Amino acid sequence: MAELNAVEIRQVSKIFGFGEFAFAAVDNTSVSIRQNEFFTLLGPSGCGKTTLLRLIAGFEYPTSGEILLNGEDIAAMPPFKRPINTVFQSYALFPHMTVAENIGFGLMMLGKPKREINERVDAMLKLVRMEALAGRRTSQISGGQQQRVALARALAPQPKVLLLDEPLSALDYKLRKDMQIELKRLQAETGITFIFVTHDQEEALTMSDRIAVMSSGKILQVGNPREIYDAPADRFVADFIGETNFLKGRIGSVANGIADVDTPVAGRISATVPQDFHAEGEVTVVLRPEHATLCPPDRADASQMTGTLENVVYFGTDTHYHVRLSDGETLFTLREQNKPLQVARFAAGDRVGIALEANAARVLRN
Amino acid sequence: MARAFSIRRQRGFTAIAITCFFALYLPIAVLVFYSFNAGESLASFDGISLRWFTKAFQNQQVIDASIRSLQIASVAAVVATIAATMAALATTRTEPYRGLTLKYAFINQPLMIPEIVTAVALLIFFARIKIWTGYSGLGYLIAAHTAFCIPFAYLPIRARLENMDLTLEKAAADLYATPWNAFRYVTLPLLWPGILAGFMLAFVISLDDVVITEFVKSAGQDTLPTYMLGQIRRSITPEMNAISTLFLLLSICVVTVFFIVNRKRV
Repeated sequence: MAELNAVEIRQVSKIFGFGEFAFAAVDNTSVSIRQNEFFTLLGPSGCGKTTLLRLIAGFEYPTSGEILLNGEDIAAMPPFKRPINTVFQSYALFPHMTVAENIGFGLMMLGKPKREINERVDAMLKLVRMEALAGRRTSQISGGQQQRVALARALAPQPKVLLLDEPLSALDYKLRKDMQIELKRLQAETGITFIFVTHDQEEALTMSDRIAVMSSGKILQVGNPREIYDAPADRFVADFIGETNFLKGRIGSVANGIADVDTPVAGRISATVPQDFHAEGEVTVVLRPEHATLCPPDRADASQMTGTLENVVYFGTDTHYHVRLSDGETLFTLREQNKPLQVARFAAGDRVGIALEANAARVLRN
Repeated sequence: MARAFSIRRQRGFTAIAITCFFALYLPIAVLVFYSFNAGESLASFDGISLRWFTKAFQNQQVIDASIRSLQIASVAAVVATIAATMAALATTRTEPYRGLTLKYAFINQPLMIPEIVTAVALLIFFARIKIWTGYSGLGYLIAAHTAFCIPFAYLPIRARLENMDLTLEKAAADLYATPWNAFRYVTLPLLWPGILAGFMLAFVISLDDVVITEFVKSAGQDTLPTYMLGQIRRSITPEMNAISTLFLLLSICVVTVFFIVNRKRV
């Protein structure tokens, strides 16, 4: 028998408001989240990812559809009966309790004996490396420490599923990076299914086993980070995950999953075609900025496009170039990694050529 | 020397502030001072004495009125605080919705209605009930005081709740707390200073009331303020100064206790 999915969302809709003001925050969505998976709901604000999380937590009830936890329908169960815990964006630590009391709260509500609570709280403090601060008030610890307490508090009752609602967004860059690694470690050590909500595509790519990209209440694509980045299902996903260049063109002959696409700005480009996709006529080709490099405009052997360099943005690790292509409309972005003591080869206003790496281009479904 | 920019420094601010403080506190200071007057006169000071305090403490009518005031204020403040807490929970522990402002206005309306109007209305209303039931005890005064104390108790409780993250109770529910347990272990401990502030305010307001009490009370139901009013109508004696000073002391005590208790629980 196949293993039960940890969480299964079946044709769930959540509609707010009535009549002409009705608005589907989650629109007839289905998705399965596997056991012990780090699953991320990714999308811009207002896409419905937080509403979906609240439906799983029980803070909202679906207008229609089923929510299954290990095969059991929990759609109508109140939050305090669901073996699911949440790490809130604002942490929502209880300010009148100590760190240890916060962590033990769930177990106390479950009516566990005092001894068991104490043991579990100690284990949790150790897990998040906060033993020294057990007796502190939550107002006396830093943001990163509050974050750890919130995690420990949600993990202490050993939930079947842990929900994380943009928990890292309040932390500064360095701390966020540390917590990303910390979260992965906790997930591996506890073996609990994590459902993580974020609008930060980099966070999603680095941490997730699988990602669901959402927009307007619908899930557009589910896949592992590489699939999502390399083979975006549609224009929205391609645009939302990382920076992307879109070129219009006419598809020509297709052989072995490679198509010749005639583009007005770049001539003929070879582009990979998604499996079982029969493209005809007008198509859009996507190109990632890091799969192109600048070259002198007269090097016809390498250059596929020419244009005017509009601006250069230095990022430390790499430099971004924005090139106005010869049609005068398309702005093409490309990214080159910086080398030690590199001297700028091109300046804004220069005529430049753009060389594409092999297999860089990909035909988009619609 | 140049001073750092501050909007607190404006021409005339200091003068206005000093004038206001004098207007507020000078009469009270004079009253307190004259309550220690040894002589009978209100106009001349004849040395320090506690005779008027002794006299006030020996006056059975003063004692009765004080006890009555405290009884009414205690019961009214407790009941008003409970009602105000429930009203505040109902109006703040939810996402804002249509009609919420109307509810606020409805709860706070007693603050807007002229007290004399409420007093006349209660007089007529209670007179009819007295005829029907034959009961003429302190219940009417307690009911009336409870009613006008609710909005006063409501204000600090609501203010406290509005500053409290709605997510806290969600977090409690997420951690297996039933609605009652979430209230018992999370909302109530955090709300406690607000409830205490509401209670103190209601207590002081009730203690101080003259207009409504004057209209609602039956014969022999004088509270301290209405007794004082009655006495002053006849003749002003230094005894009134002494009683006023004691009354002031009680108010200061209540506020101080509240301040200390509130400071401990942040």
